[in-house]
Amino acid sequence: MIKEGVQGAAAVAEEDPQAQSKKAQKKQQKEAEKAAKKAEKQAKLAGDQKTEEEDDFAKDRYGVAAMVQSQEKMDRSLVLVKDLSPARADELIWLRARVHTSRAKGKQCFLVLRQQQFNVQALVAVGDRASKQMVKFAANISKESIVDVEASVRKVDQKIESCSQQDVELHIERIFVISQAEARLPLQLEDAVRPEGEGDEEGRATVNQDTRLDNRVIDLRTTTSQAIFRLQSGVCQLFRDTLNKKGFVEIQTPKIISAASEGGANVFTVSYFKTSAYLAQSPQLYKQMCICADFDKVFCVGPVFRAEDSNTHRHLTEFVGLDIEMAFNYHYHEVIDSITDTMVQIFKGLRDNFQTEIQTVNKQFPSEPFKFLEPTLRLEYKEGLAMLREAGVEMGDEEDLSTPNEKLLGRLVKEKYDTDFYVLDKYPLAVRPFYTMPDPNDPKNSNSYDMFMRGEEILSGAQRIHDAQLLTERAMYHQIDLEKIKAYIDSFRFGAPPHGGGGIGLERVCMLYLGLHNVRQTSMFPRDPKRLTP
Amino acid sequence: MYKVQPICGGDVKVDLPTCMYKLANVHAQPANSCTHEHALQNGEVDPSVRALEARQDEIMRKLYELKAAVEGLAKTVTTPDADMDLTVRGSLSSQSSSSFRGEADLDTLLGKDLGALRDIVINANPARPPLTLLVLHKMLCQRYRVLSTVHVHSSVSSVPPQLLSCLGPRHPDSYARHLFQLGFTLIWKDVPKLQMKFSVQNMCPVEGEASVARFLFKLLAPYPSDAAAATLVDSWVDTAFHQLAEGGAKERAAVMRALNLTLGRGPWLAGRDVSLADVACYCCLLLAGSASPAPANVQRWLESCENLGHFGPAKVLLQ
Repeated sequence: MIKEGVQGAAAVAEEDPQAQSKKAQKKQQKEAEKAAKKAEKQAKLAGDQKTEEEDDFAKDRYGVAAMVQSQEKMDRSLVLVKDLSPARADELIWLRARVHTSRAKGKQCFLVLRQQQFNVQALVAVGDRASKQMVKFAANISKESIVDVEASVRKVDQKIESCSQQDVELHIERIFVISQAEARLPLQLEDAVRPEGEGDEEGRATVNQDTRLDNRVIDLRTTTSQAIFRLQSGVCQLFRDTLNKKGFVEIQTPKIISAASEGGANVFTVSYFKTSAYLAQSPQLYKQMCICADFDKVFCVGPVFRAEDSNTHRHLTEFVGLDIEMAFNYHYHEVIDSITDTMVQIFKGLRDNFQTEIQTVNKQFPSEPFKFLEPTLRLEYKEGLAMLREAGVEMGDEEDLSTPNEKLLGRLVKEKYDTDFYVLDKYPLAVRPFYTMPDPNDPKNSNSYDMFMRGEEILSGAQRIHDAQLLTERAMYHQIDLEKIKAYIDSFRFGAPPHGGGGIGLERVCMLYLGLHNVRQTSMFPRDPKRLTP
Repeated sequence: MYKVQPICGGDVKVDLPTCMYKLANVHAQPANSCTHEHALQNGEVDPSVRALEARQDEIMRKLYELKAAVEGLAKTVTTPDADMDLTVRGSLSSQSSSSFRGEADLDTLLGKDLGALRDIVINANPARPPLTLLVLHKMLCQRYRVLSTVHVHSSVSSVPPQLLSCLGPRHPDSYARHLFQLGFTLIWKDVPKLQMKFSVQNMCPVEGEASVARFLFKLLAPYPSDAAAATLVDSWVDTAFHQLAEGGAKERAAVMRALNLTLGRGPWLAGRDVSLADVACYCCLLLAGSASPAPANVQRWLESCENLGHFGPAKVLLQ
C-alpha cells in the first residue's frame, strides 16, 4: 500500500519532477520541525508539571474535603457574607458559601461567593499563600458547589457593583470543597434572574416557568426567589403578630372532612378506609364553630384545597389560606375594620421592613410600589357599578363583577383614590352563598364584602347567618339538601353570637403586593391541575 | 339741514309694473314724519328703537361674557397653575345662576346622579394643611349631608393626630354611604401641590388650594353673576394665597392696608355677603400670623368672620 502510494507520488512527480519534489521536501521539513517542537513542548510541560508538583508549597491549603459525617466538632466560627463590611478589614476569617461564578485570569482567579441573596467577591492569586495549582483548582470548582474558605477581608477602592457586599473583597488563603455540584446545571442562575424582555434584546437566555418549577431547588436559590419567600414569611409573621395583638386566638382545623363546606367550588375526594372523604376547601365551618364555642376571635393559617380545573395565572389547587372569623357587637363593619386594619398593618410592615426584598424582586419584575390608604377605602357595590357605568360598562344591578370588570374598577378606583387596596361592600344577595346575612334595609343586598389588591379579588367575606331558622330558609331557597348541611345548621341551635369573617390566599397576596403576574412565582412548590411535582 | 319745499306733490300717480313687490310711498306721509320729529324733540324714544337698543345691549353683554370666558381660558393655557375653568364656569353659568340661588342643586352643579355617592377626593400634604378647605368643609356640612372621611396614603409614614380628626367626629350614619349627598374624602398624601379629584372620567384633577376652594365654594353659593364682581372675588382669593400666605413681610403689609381700605367701605371684602374672598383672606391671615395688630377695619372684619362660626377647625389646627 505504501509502496503503491510512493509509486503513485513518483508517477505524479515525473510529470513535473523538479517543482514537485521541492514542494514535497519543504512540506516534509516543516512537518518534522513541528513534530520536534511539539515533543520539546511536551517534555518541557511534563518537566514543569513535575517540578510544580514537587514544589507545590500550598498543597495542604486546598482540596476536596472529606465528606462531613460529623467526624469532629470543630470549634471554628463561620462569618456570614452579609456581615462582611469594611469594619472587618484585614481580619482573617472562615466562611462557608456557594461558588456563584468563577473566572480565571492568568495567575489569579476571581470567585463570587454567595450566601442566600448576599454575595462577595473573592480572589485567589499566585503568591506566597497560593500556588499556581491552587489557583487552577479554584478555577475548576464547579458553580453552585459549597466551599469553606479562609480569607482575609480587604477594603476595595472601587465599589464592586456586581456584588451585594460592595466595599470589601476576600483574599483567599485556603479553600476546601465541602459539596461539589454537578458541572452541568439545568438552569443558570443569572439567566433565571434576568428581567423579562431584556434577554430577548441581547440574545441572552431567560428561563421559562416550567423549567424553573421542574428545578425548583435551583430556582429558589436566585435572589428574586429568596426575596419573594422571605417576604412571604413576613406576611405570615405580620398576620399572626397583628391578630395576636388584637386578641385573636390561632386555631387548627381538620383538612379531611366529611362534606363539602362551601357551595360552588369543587372538592377533592380521598379514600377514607371503607368510605370516602373530602379535602377541606375552606376552614370556614370550623372557624364558625369556634365562634359558637366562645373563642370570640379566631384565625388560622393552613392549606386549602380547590379541585378547580382552571389553569390561570391566579389559581392553584392547593394554597395557604389565612382565615379570620370574629364575633362582633352590633355591625359587621366591625369585622371589616378588623380585617382591613390587619391588612394595612401587613402592608406597612412590608413597606417598612422588607424594602430590600421588594427592591430585589423589582429588579427582575419591575412594578409600581403598592399603595394603600389608612383606614382602608370602603366603597359600596352600587358605587362600583356607577363608576363602571360611567366608564361605559353595561351591567345589571344584581350581576356579579366579571374579572375584566374587576380589573377596570380597580383602575378607576386607583385613578381617583390612588390606592391599590380597597373594600367593596354590600354585594347583591343573589351572587353570594346561602349563609350570607341579607341586608335589613334592602332585600336585594347582603352584608357581604370583597377586598381587592391591584384590581384582583383577594378576600371574599360576609356577615354569616347565625340563626338556625333563617339559615334553613336561605338554604331551602338555594335548593340545598338540608341533610348534607345538618351539622352546620345545628351548630347555631344553641345560641350563637353574630359574627363574620373572611380568608385570604397567602400566595395571591404576595403576588399582588409585589405586582407579579403568576401565582406560581409566590408558591414554593405550586400545585395546579397540570403539576403535582416536585 | 335747511328745508326745501317738495318738488312734486305726494299724489302723483305712477304706473308701476306688477311683477315687483309693492312698497308704501316714502314721501306720502308728511304728517307722520312731523309727529316723529315732534316726539324726538320731546326726548321720547320710539319703541322699536328702544327694542333695538335693548337687543344691542344684550348682544354686548353676551360678548363681554364671552370675552371674560375666553380670557379665563387663555389664563389657564398660558399660566398652568392659574385658576382653571372655575372662573370660566362661573361666568358661563351666570345666566342660570338665578335658578339655584337659595337651595343649590347638586345635580346641576356636579352632574347627574348615577346612584353613587358624589365623592370629592382631596389629596393634601400634611406639611401644608389646607385651612380654607377645612372651613369650606364645615360650611358644606351645614348645607348638605356630607360624609367626611380622612385617610392616610402609604406615601406618608405618620400624620399628627389633629390632622386625622380635622374633619370633625365621625358621622353616626357613616356606615351607610348611600344616606349622604356628598362625600368629602381628605387623603394626607405626599403631593407637591394640593389636588382634587372628582369625576375621573369627565374632569381632570384640579390643582392648587385656591382652585379647589373656588370649586367647593360654588357648591355653597353661586359666583356673582357679573364678571366684574366675580373678578373682584377672584383677585382677593389670589391675593390671599399668593401675597398673604406666601409673600414677604412687605407684601403682607401692603395687603393689610388694602384690606383695611376695602373693609372701610363695607362689612365684607366683595359684595354685600360673606364670600370666598373673606374665607380665603381670613385663613391666609391666620396662617401667616400677624406680627403687628391688625388695623381697626380688619379687626372688626376678623371678629365678624369669627362670629360666623365656620373657622373653628382651622383655628384648632393652627394651635
